Amino acid sequence: MSASRTNWKGIMLFLLPVALLYCAFFLYPLVFVFVTGCTSWNGIRAMSFTGLSNYIKLFGNGTFRLSLRNNFIWAFALAFIQVPLATITAMVLARKPRGWRFLRTVYFLPNVISQVAIAMMWMALYNAEYGILNHFLSAIGLESWTHNWLGEIGTALPAVIAQQVLYIGYFMIIILAGILSIPDSLYEAAEMDGAGVLRQELYVTLPMIRGLLVTSMTLAVAYGLRHFEATYLMTNGGPANSTSVLGLLLYKKMGALDYGQANAIGSVLVLTGGLLIIFIRRIFGRVESASETVQ
Amino acid sequence: MGRNRSPSLIADRAASLAKWLFLLFFLIITLFPLIWLVISSFKTNLEFQTKPFSIPELWQFANYINAVSISGLHLLFLHTIVVSFASTALNILAASMAAFVISREPFRGHETVFNIVVAGILVPVIALMVPYFRLISGLGLYDTLFGLIITYAAVSIPVSVFLIHGFMRSIPRELEEAAVIDGCSLAQRFTRVIFPLSRLGLVTAGTFVFLFSWNEFIYALLLTSSVKARTLQLGIRFFKSQFITDYTSMYAAIVLSIIPTIFVYILFHDKIIKGMTSGAVKG
Repeated sequence: MSASRTNWKGIMLFLLPVALLYCAFFLYPLVFVFVTGCTSWNGIRAMSFTGLSNYIKLFGNGTFRLSLRNNFIWAFALAFIQVPLATITAMVLARKPRGWRFLRTVYFLPNVISQVAIAMMWMALYNAEYGILNHFLSAIGLESWTHNWLGEIGTALPAVIAQQVLYIGYFMIIILAGILSIPDSLYEAAEMDGAGVLRQELYVTLPMIRGLLVTSMTLAVAYGLRHFEATYLMTNGGPANSTSVLGLLLYKKMGALDYGQANAIGSVLVLTGGLLIIFIRRIFGRVESASETVQ
Repeated sequence: MGRNRSPSLIADRAASLAKWLFLLFFLIITLFPLIWLVISSFKTNLEFQTKPFSIPELWQFANYINAVSISGLHLLFLHTIVVSFASTALNILAASMAAFVISREPFRGHETVFNIVVAGILVPVIALMVPYFRLISGLGLYDTLFGLIITYAAVSIPVSVFLIHGFMRSIPRELEEAAVIDGCSLAQRFTRVIFPLSRLGLVTAGTFVFLFSWNEFIYALLLTSSVKARTLQLGIRFFKSQFITDYTSMYAAIVLSIIPTIFVYILFHDKIIKGMTSGAVKG
Protein backbone atom coordinates (compact mmCIF):
# COMPACT_ATOMS: atom_id res chain seq x y z
CA MET A 1 0.00 0.00 0.00
CA SER A 2 2.82 2.39 0.77
CA ALA A 3 3.89 4.15 -2.38
CA SER A 4 7.58 4.09 -1.48
CA ARG A 5 8.13 0.34 -1.30
CA THR A 6 6.48 -1.68 -4.00
CA ASN A 7 6.28 -5.35 -3.11
CA TRP A 8 7.39 -6.58 -6.54
CA LYS A 9 8.01 -10.14 -5.43
CA GLY A 10 4.49 -10.46 -4.05
CA ILE A 11 2.94 -8.80 -7.08
CA MET A 12 4.77 -11.08 -9.50
CA LEU A 13 3.67 -14.12 -7.52
CA PHE A 14 0.04 -13.05 -7.68
CA LEU A 15 0.25 -12.33 -11.41
CA LEU A 16 2.04 -15.58 -12.20
CA PRO A 17 -0.96 -17.91 -12.80
CA VAL A 18 -2.68 -15.46 -15.17
CA ALA A 19 0.64 -14.65 -16.85
CA LEU A 20 1.31 -18.31 -17.55
CA LEU A 21 -2.19 -19.02 -18.86
CA TYR A 22 -2.29 -15.82 -20.89
CA CYS A 23 1.08 -16.37 -22.53
CA ALA A 24 0.28 -20.01 -23.30
CA PHE A 25 -3.24 -19.44 -24.63
CA PHE A 26 -3.15 -15.92 -26.11
CA LEU A 27 0.29 -14.43 -26.81
CA TYR A 28 2.15 -17.51 -28.01
CA PRO A 29 -0.77 -18.85 -30.11
CA LEU A 30 -1.23 -15.47 -31.84
CA VAL A 31 2.44 -15.28 -32.80
CA PHE A 32 2.37 -18.96 -33.78
CA VAL A 33 -0.63 -18.47 -36.08
CA PHE A 34 0.91 -15.51 -37.88
CA VAL A 35 4.33 -17.15 -38.29
CA THR A 36 3.13 -20.58 -39.39
CA GLY A 37 0.55 -18.96 -41.67
CA CYS A 38 3.57 -18.15 -43.85
CA THR A 39 4.78 -21.73 -44.05
CA SER A 40 3.97 -24.98 -45.76
CA TRP A 41 3.54 -27.45 -42.92
CA ASN A 42 1.62 -30.61 -42.12
CA GLY A 43 2.49 -30.83 -38.43
CA ILE A 44 4.91 -33.71 -38.97
CA ARG A 45 7.59 -32.71 -41.47
CA ALA A 46 9.66 -29.62 -40.77
CA MET A 47 7.89 -26.46 -41.88
CA SER A 48 9.22 -24.53 -44.83
CA PHE A 49 8.83 -20.78 -45.13
CA THR A 50 6.70 -19.84 -48.13
CA GLY A 51 6.00 -16.16 -47.49
CA LEU A 52 2.58 -15.01 -48.57
CA SER A 53 1.86 -17.93 -50.90
CA ASN A 54 -0.73 -19.39 -48.51
CA TYR A 55 -2.67 -16.15 -48.69
CA ILE A 56 -2.39 -15.95 -52.46
CA LYS A 57 -3.65 -19.54 -52.71
CA LEU A 58 -6.50 -18.81 -50.30
CA PHE A 59 -7.77 -15.75 -52.13
CA GLY A 60 -7.69 -17.74 -55.38
CA ASN A 61 -9.83 -20.42 -53.74
CA GLY A 62 -13.59 -20.12 -54.35
CA THR A 63 -14.58 -21.77 -51.07
CA PHE A 64 -12.40 -19.36 -49.10
CA ARG A 65 -13.88 -16.33 -50.82
CA LEU A 66 -17.38 -17.71 -50.26
CA SER A 67 -16.59 -18.34 -46.58
CA LEU A 68 -15.21 -14.85 -46.13
CA ARG A 69 -18.29 -13.41 -47.83
CA ASN A 70 -20.54 -15.49 -45.57
CA ASN A 71 -18.71 -14.25 -42.49
CA PHE A 72 -19.35 -10.70 -43.64
CA ILE A 73 -23.03 -11.54 -44.17
CA TRP A 74 -23.13 -12.98 -40.65
CA ALA A 75 -21.48 -9.89 -39.20
CA PHE A 76 -23.80 -7.63 -41.18
CA ALA A 77 -26.94 -9.53 -40.13
CA LEU A 78 -25.96 -9.45 -36.47
CA ALA A 79 -24.88 -5.80 -36.48
CA PHE A 80 -27.64 -4.35 -38.68
CA ILE A 81 -30.61 -6.66 -38.02
CA GLN A 82 -30.08 -8.22 -34.60
CA VAL A 83 -28.74 -5.10 -32.87
CA PRO A 84 -31.51 -2.79 -34.20
CA LEU A 85 -34.21 -5.33 -33.23
CA ALA A 86 -32.61 -5.60 -29.80
CA THR A 87 -32.53 -1.80 -29.54
CA ILE A 88 -36.23 -1.45 -30.36
CA THR A 89 -37.10 -4.18 -27.87
CA ALA A 90 -34.98 -2.50 -25.21
CA MET A 91 -36.69 0.84 -25.89
CA VAL A 92 -40.10 -0.76 -25.47
CA LEU A 93 -39.11 -2.62 -22.29
CA ALA A 94 -37.46 0.50 -20.84
CA ARG A 95 -40.90 2.08 -20.64
CA LYS A 96 -41.71 -0.73 -18.24
CA PRO A 97 -44.84 -2.26 -19.73
CA ARG A 98 -46.52 -4.91 -17.61
CA GLY A 99 -44.27 -7.96 -17.27
CA TRP A 100 -41.11 -6.28 -18.57
CA ARG A 101 -38.85 -8.00 -16.05
CA PHE A 102 -40.27 -11.37 -17.04
CA LEU A 103 -39.81 -10.60 -20.74
CA ARG A 104 -36.23 -9.44 -20.13
CA THR A 105 -35.41 -12.71 -18.35
CA VAL A 106 -37.08 -14.90 -20.97
CA TYR A 107 -35.58 -13.08 -24.00
CA PHE A 108 -32.11 -13.73 -22.63
CA LEU A 109 -32.79 -17.40 -21.92
CA PRO A 110 -31.49 -18.80 -25.27
CA ASN A 111 -28.11 -17.25 -24.50
CA VAL A 112 -27.50 -19.64 -21.63
CA ILE A 113 -28.41 -22.71 -23.68
CA SER A 114 -25.63 -24.36 -25.67
CA GLN A 115 -25.30 -23.63 -29.37
CA VAL A 116 -25.35 -27.37 -29.94
CA ALA A 117 -28.73 -27.88 -28.30
CA ILE A 118 -30.14 -24.87 -30.15
CA ALA A 119 -28.76 -26.08 -33.46
CA MET A 120 -30.25 -29.55 -32.98
CA MET A 121 -33.57 -27.99 -32.05
CA TRP A 122 -33.71 -25.81 -35.14
CA MET A 123 -32.62 -28.66 -37.39
CA ALA A 124 -35.78 -30.42 -36.27
CA LEU A 125 -37.86 -27.28 -36.86
CA TYR A 126 -36.39 -26.80 -40.34
CA ASN A 127 -36.58 -30.48 -41.35
CA ALA A 128 -38.21 -30.91 -44.75
CA GLU A 129 -40.44 -33.89 -43.86
CA TYR A 130 -41.41 -33.66 -40.22
CA GLY A 131 -40.23 -30.13 -39.44
CA ILE A 132 -42.79 -27.88 -37.87
CA LEU A 133 -42.02 -24.90 -40.11
CA ASN A 134 -43.21 -26.74 -43.22
CA HIS A 135 -46.17 -28.24 -41.35
CA PHE A 136 -47.16 -24.78 -40.25
CA LEU A 137 -46.88 -23.29 -43.75
CA SER A 138 -49.00 -26.12 -45.18
CA ALA A 139 -51.57 -25.73 -42.43
CA ILE A 140 -52.16 -22.07 -43.30
CA GLY A 141 -52.35 -22.83 -47.03
CA LEU A 142 -48.87 -21.70 -48.01
CA GLU A 143 -47.70 -25.10 -49.26
CA SER A 144 -45.81 -23.46 -52.10
CA TRP A 145 -43.62 -21.73 -49.50
CA THR A 146 -42.33 -24.97 -48.01
CA HIS A 147 -38.66 -25.73 -48.52
CA ASN A 148 -35.96 -28.17 -47.58
CA TRP A 149 -34.68 -25.20 -45.61
CA LEU A 150 -31.17 -26.41 -44.80
CA GLY A 151 -30.75 -28.44 -47.99
CA GLU A 152 -31.38 -25.85 -50.69
CA ILE A 153 -28.72 -23.37 -51.78
CA GLY A 154 -31.16 -20.47 -51.76
CA THR A 155 -32.48 -20.99 -48.23
CA ALA A 156 -29.66 -22.64 -46.24
CA LEU A 157 -27.63 -19.55 -45.33
CA PRO A 158 -30.65 -17.38 -44.39
CA ALA A 159 -32.06 -20.29 -42.35
CA VAL A 160 -28.86 -20.79 -40.35
CA ILE A 161 -28.48 -17.06 -39.78
CA ALA A 162 -32.15 -16.48 -38.87
CA GLN A 163 -32.08 -18.85 -35.90
CA GLN A 164 -29.31 -16.72 -34.40
CA VAL A 165 -30.42 -13.24 -35.41
CA LEU A 166 -33.87 -13.62 -33.89
CA TYR A 167 -32.42 -14.38 -30.45
CA ILE A 168 -32.05 -10.74 -29.49
CA GLY A 169 -31.62 -11.20 -25.73
CA TYR A 170 -27.90 -10.60 -25.45
CA PHE A 171 -27.80 -7.12 -26.96
CA MET A 172 -31.23 -6.30 -25.56
CA ILE A 173 -29.84 -6.72 -22.01
CA ILE A 174 -26.86 -4.46 -22.68
CA ILE A 175 -28.88 -1.73 -24.36
CA LEU A 176 -31.76 -1.91 -21.88
CA ALA A 177 -29.36 -1.27 -19.00
CA GLY A 178 -28.03 1.75 -20.86
CA ILE A 179 -31.48 3.20 -21.48
CA LEU A 180 -32.56 2.65 -17.86
CA SER A 181 -29.56 4.68 -16.70
CA ILE A 182 -30.67 7.77 -18.68
CA PRO A 183 -32.02 10.37 -16.22
CA ASP A 184 -35.81 10.75 -16.30
CA SER A 185 -35.46 14.52 -16.36
CA LEU A 186 -34.31 14.38 -19.99
CA TYR A 187 -37.56 12.68 -21.01
CA GLU A 188 -39.62 15.05 -18.90
CA ALA A 189 -37.97 18.03 -20.57
CA ALA A 190 -38.58 16.54 -24.02
CA GLU A 191 -42.22 15.94 -23.15
CA MET A 192 -42.62 19.54 -21.98
CA ASP A 193 -41.29 20.60 -25.36
CA GLY A 194 -44.09 18.55 -26.92
CA ALA A 195 -42.07 15.55 -28.08
CA GLY A 196 -44.10 12.34 -28.45
CA VAL A 197 -42.81 8.89 -27.58
CA LEU A 198 -41.22 8.37 -31.00
CA ARG A 199 -39.42 11.70 -30.93
CA GLN A 200 -38.23 11.06 -27.39
CA GLU A 201 -36.68 7.77 -28.51
CA LEU A 202 -35.09 9.39 -31.56
CA TYR A 203 -33.75 12.54 -29.94
CA VAL A 204 -33.15 11.48 -26.33
CA THR A 205 -32.61 7.73 -26.15
CA LEU A 206 -30.60 7.15 -29.35
CA PRO A 207 -27.98 9.86 -28.79
CA MET A 208 -27.60 8.82 -25.14
CA ILE A 209 -26.91 5.16 -25.96
CA ARG A 210 -24.68 5.72 -28.99
CA GLY A 211 -21.64 4.39 -27.15
CA LEU A 212 -23.48 1.21 -26.21
CA LEU A 213 -24.67 0.74 -29.78
CA VAL A 214 -21.06 0.98 -31.01
CA THR A 215 -20.05 -1.58 -28.39
CA SER A 216 -22.92 -3.86 -29.39
CA MET A 217 -22.12 -3.61 -33.07
CA THR A 218 -18.44 -4.24 -32.39
CA LEU A 219 -19.35 -7.37 -30.46
CA ALA A 220 -21.81 -8.39 -33.20
CA VAL A 221 -19.08 -8.13 -35.84
CA ALA A 222 -16.73 -10.14 -33.66
CA TYR A 223 -19.36 -12.87 -33.23
CA GLY A 224 -20.13 -12.84 -36.94
CA LEU A 225 -16.49 -13.57 -37.73
CA ARG A 226 -16.13 -16.25 -35.07
CA HIS A 227 -19.26 -18.09 -36.02
CA PHE A 228 -18.76 -21.85 -36.17
CA GLU A 229 -21.09 -24.13 -34.21
CA ALA A 230 -24.48 -23.74 -35.88
CA THR A 231 -23.00 -24.03 -39.37
CA TYR A 232 -20.83 -27.01 -38.46
CA LEU A 233 -23.79 -28.85 -36.96
CA MET A 234 -26.65 -27.79 -39.22
CA THR A 235 -25.09 -27.87 -42.69
CA ASN A 236 -21.36 -28.52 -42.32
CA GLY A 237 -20.93 -25.76 -44.89
CA GLY A 238 -23.24 -27.29 -47.49
CA PRO A 239 -25.07 -27.41 -49.80
CA ALA A 240 -22.24 -26.77 -52.27
CA ASN A 241 -20.28 -24.72 -49.67
CA SER A 242 -23.04 -22.11 -49.74
CA THR A 243 -23.05 -21.76 -45.93
CA SER A 244 -19.33 -22.25 -45.28
CA VAL A 245 -17.56 -19.84 -42.90
CA LEU A 246 -13.88 -19.24 -42.15
CA GLY A 247 -13.90 -21.08 -38.82
CA LEU A 248 -15.30 -24.16 -40.50
CA LEU A 249 -12.82 -23.95 -43.36
CA LEU A 250 -9.99 -23.60 -40.84
CA TYR A 251 -11.27 -26.71 -39.05
CA LYS A 252 -11.41 -28.65 -42.30
CA LYS A 253 -7.91 -27.57 -43.40
CA MET A 254 -6.63 -28.59 -40.01
CA GLY A 255 -8.32 -31.97 -40.35
CA ALA A 256 -6.57 -32.36 -43.72
CA LEU A 257 -3.25 -31.60 -41.92
CA ASP A 258 -2.75 -28.47 -43.99
CA TYR A 259 -1.60 -26.47 -40.97
CA GLY A 260 -0.01 -23.70 -43.06
CA GLN A 261 -3.29 -22.88 -44.80
CA ALA A 262 -5.28 -23.39 -41.60
CA ASN A 263 -3.18 -20.82 -39.77
CA ALA A 264 -3.28 -18.42 -42.70
CA ILE A 265 -7.08 -18.54 -42.32
CA GLY A 266 -6.61 -17.97 -38.59
CA SER A 267 -4.50 -14.87 -39.32
CA VAL A 268 -7.16 -13.58 -41.71
CA LEU A 269 -9.75 -14.03 -38.93
CA VAL A 270 -7.66 -12.14 -36.38
CA LEU A 271 -6.74 -9.33 -38.80
CA THR A 272 -10.21 -8.91 -40.30
CA GLY A 273 -11.71 -8.79 -36.82
CA GLY A 274 -9.24 -6.14 -35.70
CA LEU A 275 -9.68 -4.03 -38.84
CA LEU A 276 -13.48 -4.17 -38.79
CA ILE A 277 -13.56 -3.17 -35.14
CA ILE A 278 -11.29 -0.18 -35.81
CA PHE A 279 -13.43 0.68 -38.86
CA ILE A 280 -16.69 0.65 -36.87
CA ARG A 281 -15.17 2.75 -34.08
CA ARG A 282 -13.89 5.28 -36.61
CA ILE A 283 -17.20 5.66 -38.42
CA PHE A 284 -19.15 6.10 -35.22
CA GLY A 285 -16.43 8.25 -33.72
CA ARG A 286 -16.78 10.60 -36.67
CA VAL A 287 -20.56 10.71 -36.33
CA GLU A 288 -20.08 11.60 -32.71
CA SER A 289 -17.70 14.48 -33.32
CA ALA A 290 -19.90 15.75 -36.16
CA SER A 291 -22.93 15.91 -33.88
CA GLU A 292 -20.84 17.74 -31.32
CA THR A 293 -19.93 20.45 -33.82
CA VAL A 294 -23.60 20.86 -34.74
CA GLN A 295 -24.43 21.53 -31.13
CA MET B 1 -41.95 7.75 -14.68
CA GLY B 2 -43.96 10.22 -16.74
CA ARG B 3 -42.79 8.64 -20.00
CA ASN B 4 -46.00 7.10 -21.19
CA ARG B 5 -48.42 9.73 -22.41
CA SER B 6 -49.66 10.25 -25.94
CA PRO B 7 -52.07 12.86 -27.33
CA SER B 8 -54.46 10.85 -29.48
CA LEU B 9 -56.35 7.86 -28.13
CA ILE B 10 -56.56 5.94 -31.43
CA ALA B 11 -52.89 6.38 -32.21
CA ASP B 12 -52.22 5.34 -28.63
CA ARG B 13 -54.23 2.13 -29.06
CA ALA B 14 -52.56 1.29 -32.36
CA ALA B 15 -49.10 1.90 -30.96
CA SER B 16 -49.90 -0.18 -27.93
CA LEU B 17 -51.14 -3.06 -30.09
CA ALA B 18 -48.03 -2.90 -32.29
CA LYS B 19 -45.85 -2.87 -29.19
CA TRP B 20 -47.48 -5.98 -27.72
CA LEU B 21 -47.39 -7.85 -31.05
CA PHE B 22 -43.69 -7.03 -31.29
CA LEU B 23 -42.99 -8.27 -27.77
CA LEU B 24 -45.15 -11.36 -28.34
CA PHE B 25 -43.25 -12.23 -31.52
CA PHE B 26 -39.94 -12.42 -29.67
CA LEU B 27 -41.53 -14.27 -26.78
CA ILE B 28 -42.78 -16.91 -29.22
CA ILE B 29 -39.44 -17.09 -31.07
CA THR B 30 -37.67 -17.57 -27.76
CA LEU B 31 -39.98 -19.97 -25.99
CA PHE B 32 -41.84 -21.89 -28.67
CA PRO B 33 -38.89 -23.99 -29.98
CA LEU B 34 -37.95 -24.88 -26.41
CA ILE B 35 -41.46 -25.85 -25.39
CA TRP B 36 -41.87 -27.77 -28.61
CA LEU B 37 -38.62 -29.63 -27.90
CA VAL B 38 -39.76 -30.57 -24.40
CA ILE B 39 -43.20 -31.72 -25.61
CA SER B 40 -41.65 -33.69 -28.48
CA SER B 41 -39.37 -35.47 -26.05
CA PHE B 42 -42.47 -37.07 -24.49
CA LYS B 43 -43.97 -38.34 -27.77
CA THR B 44 -43.65 -41.58 -29.65
CA ASN B 45 -41.63 -41.24 -32.84
CA LEU B 46 -44.74 -41.85 -34.96
CA GLU B 47 -46.64 -39.15 -33.12
CA PHE B 48 -43.72 -36.76 -33.47
CA GLN B 49 -43.63 -37.16 -37.23
CA THR B 50 -47.34 -37.20 -37.97
CA LYS B 51 -48.75 -34.80 -35.37
CA PRO B 52 -46.09 -32.20 -34.72
CA PHE B 53 -48.45 -29.71 -33.04
CA SER B 54 -50.28 -32.06 -30.72
CA ILE B 55 -49.87 -32.76 -27.02
CA PRO B 56 -48.65 -36.35 -26.55
CA GLU B 57 -51.51 -38.85 -26.14
CA LEU B 58 -49.45 -40.77 -23.64
CA TRP B 59 -46.46 -39.06 -22.07
CA GLN B 60 -43.47 -41.25 -22.92
CA PHE B 61 -41.19 -41.05 -19.93
CA ALA B 62 -39.46 -44.11 -21.41
CA ASN B 63 -37.73 -41.71 -23.85
CA TYR B 64 -35.76 -40.32 -20.95
CA ILE B 65 -34.75 -43.78 -19.77
CA ASN B 66 -33.73 -44.63 -23.35
CA ALA B 67 -31.74 -41.42 -23.59
CA VAL B 68 -29.62 -42.31 -20.60
CA SER B 69 -29.14 -45.97 -21.50
CA ILE B 70 -28.41 -45.50 -25.22
CA SER B 71 -26.01 -42.59 -24.99
CA GLY B 72 -24.32 -43.24 -21.66
CA LEU B 73 -25.61 -39.80 -20.69
CA HIS B 74 -24.63 -40.20 -17.04
CA LEU B 75 -20.94 -40.40 -17.99
CA LEU B 76 -21.21 -37.35 -20.25
CA PHE B 77 -22.86 -35.51 -17.38
CA LEU B 78 -20.13 -36.53 -14.98
CA HIS B 79 -17.39 -35.34 -17.38
CA THR B 80 -19.14 -32.04 -17.99
CA ILE B 81 -19.69 -31.42 -14.29
CA VAL B 82 -16.02 -32.12 -13.53
CA VAL B 83 -14.78 -29.93 -16.40
CA SER B 84 -17.14 -27.04 -15.64
CA PHE B 85 -16.50 -26.89 -11.91
CA ALA B 86 -12.73 -27.41 -12.18
CA SER B 87 -12.19 -24.87 -14.96
CA THR B 88 -14.34 -22.34 -13.11
CA ALA B 89 -12.39 -22.84 -9.88
CA LEU B 90 -9.02 -22.62 -11.62
CA ASN B 91 -10.08 -19.58 -13.61
CA ILE B 92 -11.53 -17.69 -10.64
CA LEU B 93 -8.51 -18.42 -8.45
CA ALA B 94 -6.01 -17.20 -11.06
CA ALA B 95 -8.13 -14.24 -12.20
CA SER B 96 -8.92 -13.02 -8.69
CA MET B 97 -5.23 -13.12 -7.69
CA ALA B 98 -4.29 -11.03 -10.71
CA ALA B 99 -7.27 -8.70 -10.34
CA PHE B 100 -6.37 -8.20 -6.67
CA VAL B 101 -2.86 -6.86 -7.25
CA ILE B 102 -3.91 -4.90 -10.34
CA SER B 103 -6.77 -3.16 -8.52
CA ARG B 104 -5.53 -2.87 -4.93
CA GLU B 105 -1.73 -2.71 -5.20
CA PRO B 106 -1.33 -0.21 -8.03
CA PHE B 107 2.24 -0.97 -9.06
CA ARG B 108 3.85 0.85 -11.95
CA GLY B 109 2.43 -0.53 -15.20
CA HIS B 110 -0.70 -2.01 -13.64
CA GLU B 111 -2.88 -0.33 -16.24
CA THR B 112 -0.85 -1.80 -19.08
CA VAL B 113 -1.10 -5.28 -17.60
CA PHE B 114 -4.85 -4.85 -17.19
CA ASN B 115 -5.31 -3.57 -20.75
CA ILE B 116 -3.26 -6.39 -22.27
CA VAL B 117 -5.18 -9.08 -20.40
CA VAL B 118 -8.59 -7.55 -21.14
CA ALA B 119 -7.73 -7.07 -24.83
CA GLY B 120 -7.89 -10.87 -24.94
CA ILE B 121 -11.70 -10.50 -25.02
CA LEU B 122 -11.38 -9.33 -28.63
CA VAL B 123 -9.15 -12.22 -29.76
CA PRO B 124 -11.17 -14.68 -31.85
CA VAL B 125 -9.95 -17.83 -30.09
CA ILE B 126 -11.51 -19.93 -32.84
CA ALA B 127 -8.58 -18.78 -35.02
CA LEU B 128 -6.19 -20.46 -32.59
CA MET B 129 -7.29 -24.07 -33.15
CA VAL B 130 -3.93 -25.32 -34.42
CA PRO B 131 -1.79 -23.85 -31.61
CA TYR B 132 -4.25 -25.05 -28.95
CA PHE B 133 -4.19 -28.52 -30.43
CA ARG B 134 -0.37 -28.51 -30.52
CA LEU B 135 -0.12 -27.11 -27.02
CA ILE B 136 -2.52 -29.58 -25.41
CA SER B 137 -1.01 -32.51 -27.34
CA GLY B 138 2.49 -31.33 -26.43
CA LEU B 139 1.57 -31.30 -22.75
CA GLY B 140 0.31 -34.86 -23.10
CA LEU B 141 -3.23 -33.69 -22.32
CA TYR B 142 -4.95 -34.62 -25.59
CA ASP B 143 -8.20 -36.50 -24.97
CA THR B 144 -8.14 -35.83 -21.24
CA LEU B 145 -10.53 -33.88 -19.06
CA PHE B 146 -7.62 -31.86 -17.69
CA GLY B 147 -6.77 -30.65 -21.19
CA LEU B 148 -10.28 -29.20 -21.47
CA ILE B 149 -10.18 -27.79 -17.95
CA ILE B 150 -7.00 -25.80 -18.51
CA THR B 151 -8.17 -24.59 -21.94
CA TYR B 152 -11.54 -23.37 -20.69
CA ALA B 153 -9.96 -21.75 -17.63
CA ALA B 154 -7.40 -19.93 -19.80
CA VAL B 155 -9.78 -18.81 -22.55
CA SER B 156 -12.09 -17.20 -19.97
CA ILE B 157 -9.29 -15.31 -18.19
CA PRO B 158 -9.80 -11.92 -19.95
CA VAL B 159 -13.51 -11.66 -19.19
CA SER B 160 -13.20 -12.78 -15.56
CA VAL B 161 -10.21 -10.52 -14.82
CA PHE B 162 -12.29 -7.68 -16.25
CA LEU B 163 -15.35 -8.46 -14.12
CA ILE B 164 -13.48 -9.19 -10.88
CA HIS B 165 -11.21 -6.15 -11.29
CA GLY B 166 -14.23 -3.88 -11.65
CA PHE B 167 -15.76 -5.32 -8.53
CA MET B 168 -12.60 -5.25 -6.38
CA ARG B 169 -11.84 -1.66 -7.30
CA SER B 170 -15.15 -0.59 -5.78
CA ILE B 171 -14.38 -2.05 -2.34
CA PRO B 172 -13.71 0.86 0.07
CA ARG B 173 -10.10 1.27 1.22
CA GLU B 174 -11.11 1.58 4.89
CA LEU B 175 -12.07 -2.08 5.03
CA GLU B 176 -8.51 -3.00 4.21
CA GLU B 177 -6.76 -0.46 6.40
CA ALA B 178 -7.30 -2.25 9.70
CA ALA B 179 -5.68 -5.34 8.22
CA VAL B 180 -2.69 -3.30 7.07
CA ILE B 181 -2.26 -1.75 10.50
CA ASP B 182 -2.36 -5.24 12.00
CA GLY B 183 0.59 -6.02 9.77
CA CYS B 184 -1.13 -8.31 7.25
CA SER B 185 1.00 -9.36 4.33
CA LEU B 186 -0.16 -9.07 0.72
CA ALA B 187 -1.30 -12.70 0.76
CA GLN B 188 -3.17 -12.28 4.05
CA ARG B 189 -4.93 -9.17 2.78
CA PHE B 190 -6.04 -11.19 -0.25
CA THR B 191 -7.22 -14.31 1.57
CA ARG B 192 -8.72 -12.64 4.66
CA VAL B 193 -10.10 -9.36 3.38
CA ILE B 194 -10.45 -8.87 -0.35
CA PHE B 195 -11.31 -12.41 -1.47
CA PRO B 196 -14.22 -12.79 1.00
CA LEU B 197 -15.43 -9.24 0.32
CA SER B 198 -15.43 -9.92 -3.43
CA ARG B 199 -17.74 -12.89 -3.16
CA LEU B 200 -20.48 -11.23 -5.23
CA GLY B 201 -18.10 -10.32 -8.04
CA LEU B 202 -16.56 -13.79 -7.97
CA VAL B 203 -19.99 -15.41 -8.27
CA THR B 204 -20.81 -13.22 -11.28
CA ALA B 205 -17.57 -14.09 -13.05
CA GLY B 206 -17.86 -17.71 -11.96
CA THR B 207 -21.35 -17.99 -13.44
CA PHE B 208 -20.01 -16.74 -16.76
CA VAL B 209 -17.12 -19.19 -16.80
CA PHE B 210 -19.33 -22.05 -15.67
CA LEU B 211 -21.93 -21.49 -18.38
CA PHE B 212 -19.21 -21.06 -20.98
CA SER B 213 -17.52 -24.29 -19.92
CA TRP B 214 -20.76 -26.22 -19.76
CA ASN B 215 -21.78 -25.11 -23.25
CA GLU B 216 -18.39 -25.09 -25.01
CA PHE B 217 -18.24 -27.22 -28.11
CA ILE B 218 -15.41 -26.32 -30.50
CA TYR B 219 -12.47 -27.12 -28.26
CA ALA B 220 -14.15 -30.24 -26.90
CA LEU B 221 -14.44 -31.34 -30.52
CA LEU B 222 -10.83 -30.51 -31.24
CA LEU B 223 -9.06 -31.69 -28.10
CA THR B 224 -10.79 -35.01 -27.41
CA SER B 225 -11.36 -38.11 -29.49
CA SER B 226 -12.84 -40.83 -27.30
CA VAL B 227 -15.62 -41.35 -24.78
CA LYS B 228 -13.16 -41.07 -21.92
CA ALA B 229 -13.11 -37.27 -22.14
CA ARG B 230 -16.35 -36.69 -24.05
CA THR B 231 -18.55 -33.87 -22.75
CA LEU B 232 -22.31 -33.38 -23.04
CA GLN B 233 -22.11 -30.95 -25.94
CA LEU B 234 -19.95 -33.33 -27.92
CA GLY B 235 -22.19 -36.21 -26.89
CA ILE B 236 -25.23 -34.45 -28.33
CA ARG B 237 -23.50 -34.34 -31.68
CA PHE B 238 -23.00 -38.10 -31.55
CA PHE B 239 -26.59 -38.65 -30.43
CA LYS B 240 -27.68 -38.28 -34.03
CA SER B 241 -25.78 -41.35 -35.14
CA GLN B 242 -26.57 -43.28 -31.96
CA PHE B 243 -30.30 -42.74 -32.05
CA ILE B 244 -30.64 -43.03 -35.85
CA THR B 245 -34.45 -42.93 -36.01
CA ASP B 246 -35.29 -42.53 -32.33
CA TYR B 247 -35.69 -38.75 -32.52
CA THR B 248 -37.78 -38.34 -29.44
CA SER B 249 -35.25 -40.07 -27.17
CA MET B 250 -32.62 -37.77 -28.67
CA TYR B 251 -34.74 -34.77 -27.72
CA ALA B 252 -35.06 -36.18 -24.22
CA ALA B 253 -31.25 -36.29 -24.03
CA ILE B 254 -31.02 -32.68 -25.27
CA VAL B 255 -33.62 -31.55 -22.73
CA LEU B 256 -31.62 -33.18 -19.94
CA SER B 257 -28.44 -31.46 -21.17
CA ILE B 258 -29.95 -27.97 -20.99
CA ILE B 259 -31.75 -28.32 -17.64
CA PRO B 260 -28.64 -27.50 -15.54
CA THR B 261 -27.89 -24.29 -17.46
CA ILE B 262 -31.49 -23.14 -17.16
CA PHE B 263 -31.31 -23.92 -13.44
CA VAL B 264 -28.09 -21.87 -13.08
CA TYR B 265 -29.73 -19.06 -15.05
CA ILE B 266 -32.81 -18.98 -12.82
CA LEU B 267 -30.58 -18.89 -9.73
CA PHE B 268 -28.12 -16.27 -10.95
CA HIS B 269 -29.87 -14.26 -13.66
CA ASP B 270 -29.57 -10.97 -11.82
CA LYS B 271 -25.81 -11.49 -11.48
CA ILE B 272 -25.48 -12.45 -15.14
CA ILE B 273 -27.35 -9.33 -16.15
CA LYS B 274 -25.25 -7.18 -13.82
CA GLY B 275 -22.02 -8.70 -15.13
CA MET B 276 -22.98 -8.19 -18.77
CA THR B 277 -23.98 -4.64 -18.09
CA SER B 278 -20.77 -3.66 -16.34
CA GLY B 279 -18.85 -5.31 -19.19
CA ALA B 280 -20.64 -3.40 -21.89
CA VAL B 281 -20.62 0.03 -20.34
CA LYS B 282 -16.83 0.03 -20.31
CA GLY B 283 -16.64 -1.52 -23.82
